[in-house]
Amino acid sequence: MPEEIYSQMMKELSEGKYVFTGELEPKKAGNVNEPIAAARDLIGLVTACNVTDNPQSFAYVNSMAASYKIQAETGMECVYQLRCSDRNRMALLSDVLGAGTLGLKNILALAGDHVALGDTPDAMSVFDLDSTTLIYMIRKIVDEGKDLAGNEIEDPPKLHVGGAAAPGAAYLKAEVAKVKRKINVGVEFLQTQVVYYTDILDKFFDELGKVDVPILVGIFPAKSYGAAKFFDEYVAGVDVPPEYLANLKKTKEVKDKEERKAEVDRVNIEFFTDFLEYLKGTPSAGCHMMAVGYPRIIGPLKKVME
Amino acid sequence: MIAQEQKPMEEILGFLDGKKNVVVVGCGGCATFYHTGDKKAVDEMAEKLEKEGKGVTKISMPLGMSACDTEKIAIFLQKKRNEVENCDAILLMSCGDGVQVAADYVDEEMGLAKNVYPANDALGLVGGGPTKFHETCQSCGMCELGKTAGICPLTACGKGLMNGPCGGVRVDDKCEIDPEKDCAWVKIYKRMEKLGELDKFEEMRAPHEWSKMKRPRLFELKDPMGMMDMMGAMMNYNTVSGYMSMMFAKKPEEQKEEKKE
Repeated sequence: MPEEIYSQMMKELSEGKYVFTGELEPKKAGNVNEPIAAARDLIGLVTACNVTDNPQSFAYVNSMAASYKIQAETGMECVYQLRCSDRNRMALLSDVLGAGTLGLKNILALAGDHVALGDTPDAMSVFDLDSTTLIYMIRKIVDEGKDLAGNEIEDPPKLHVGGAAAPGAAYLKAEVAKVKRKINVGVEFLQTQVVYYTDILDKFFDELGKVDVPILVGIFPAKSYGAAKFFDEYVAGVDVPPEYLANLKKTKEVKDKEERKAEVDRVNIEFFTDFLEYLKGTPSAGCHMMAVGYPRIIGPLKKVME
Repeated sequence: MIAQEQKPMEEILGFLDGKKNVVVVGCGGCATFYHTGDKKAVDEMAEKLEKEGKGVTKISMPLGMSACDTEKIAIFLQKKRNEVENCDAILLMSCGDGVQVAADYVDEEMGLAKNVYPANDALGLVGGGPTKFHETCQSCGMCELGKTAGICPLTACGKGLMNGPCGGVRVDDKCEIDPEKDCAWVKIYKRMEKLGELDKFEEMRAPHEWSKMKRPRLFELKDPMGMMDMMGAMMNYNTVSGYMSMMFAKKPEEQKEEKKE
């Protein structure tokens, strides 16, 4: 655990509380009204919210600007996602300093998807740094007040840096070694990619062994069959269970909109109650609920953990 | 070698639109190996251009005579000086290096203002063969292979990560960007495992020093290879005999069978 605590999320994690985080997605728009409204819905339900940075390489509102606006207007603490795909080390440094200036306290350092997978495939992918070297750079900025080239930084920002882990990675041994590498360079919290299968998570925790860094396990209660199907087909390293998908598909037969919503909630509560019960017995320190556009499910699911 | 393929004929004809007399120049280097600038390729190109009503002068360069080598291409361009002087365009059947070396020579040494067009697209420095090649080195000026079990992640990883793998490795260890390509970092892991050096995998590799790749890069060779050196290298007894014995040597499995008998 870090010696100095700058954010509420890290405070709760260091106190051993089981922490819930949510996820907010800025859009391709000239405003962040939608994630601000979603953040308001999540106040009191989660400790902090990740604000995505061009997810799946679809170019949206800058995540630092969105994080700042959301935090300032709603009071929701943000986990500012920052990916290496679109910026070189200079731009990343500027963004980290900018985030500190705007009062952001948590950064999730990501490599990011290749731009070829997104909506601007002709762009040049950058990857001057990777997730590990970005974590290393942020720790150097915060702890030593220096950038990668050794230049001094006046009044360095006070913030925490997290990293991602992919328990469902096809080649788990290499993924676990990479996670250990992130731990070696000073990552302060880890959030996992979405997991649906308990045996996948068991294997990941077994392979990783005991670590001092808190790990929040990612879950994705889908607000519709389409959302779950998209995750299954397009998100690397995630398999959605066919029976859960089939149950969501059945909800499409319900004609009444409100009844259909209730049925989707029932399917999610049924599936995730078992999963969250299981999570209690794992070394996880919290749960990252990627229920984008689906805040009403978080309350009922949280109850399971109480 | 620099892999390459010929551009679509429509694109080439686009360059040559309105140009009546064309000098088509081949290349005895990589372009000969990839059949994009050997004598046959030059002949075929000339035939196609003649069918389009153009007057064509052919310049083929024999194996070993590369268009990117100023001394060599100078010999061939000077031999056809009249045709070069009177042409409307020059078409280089080489990589972009050959095109630019030729253009500079024609402009600065021959004192002629001529459009020099590319017939090929260069596809990178590749290794492998005889039929399948893969890009292995991007000549970045700061070789990282000593830290990555001899596999360059800057080139072989779709994202060029120095500390992979990313979270997108496919179930068959292929790359998330292209299912045809292997994940470089899974390969690096497996090779380090074989070498008993997995502890190195967990170490962070520092960000790559791109300062070594300030373009355009200039390079000076203090002791250049002259024509006589080249002849000597080609005639070197050990090289020739070594090459011949390798060509005609029995394959390992044939040797095994002989032993059994």
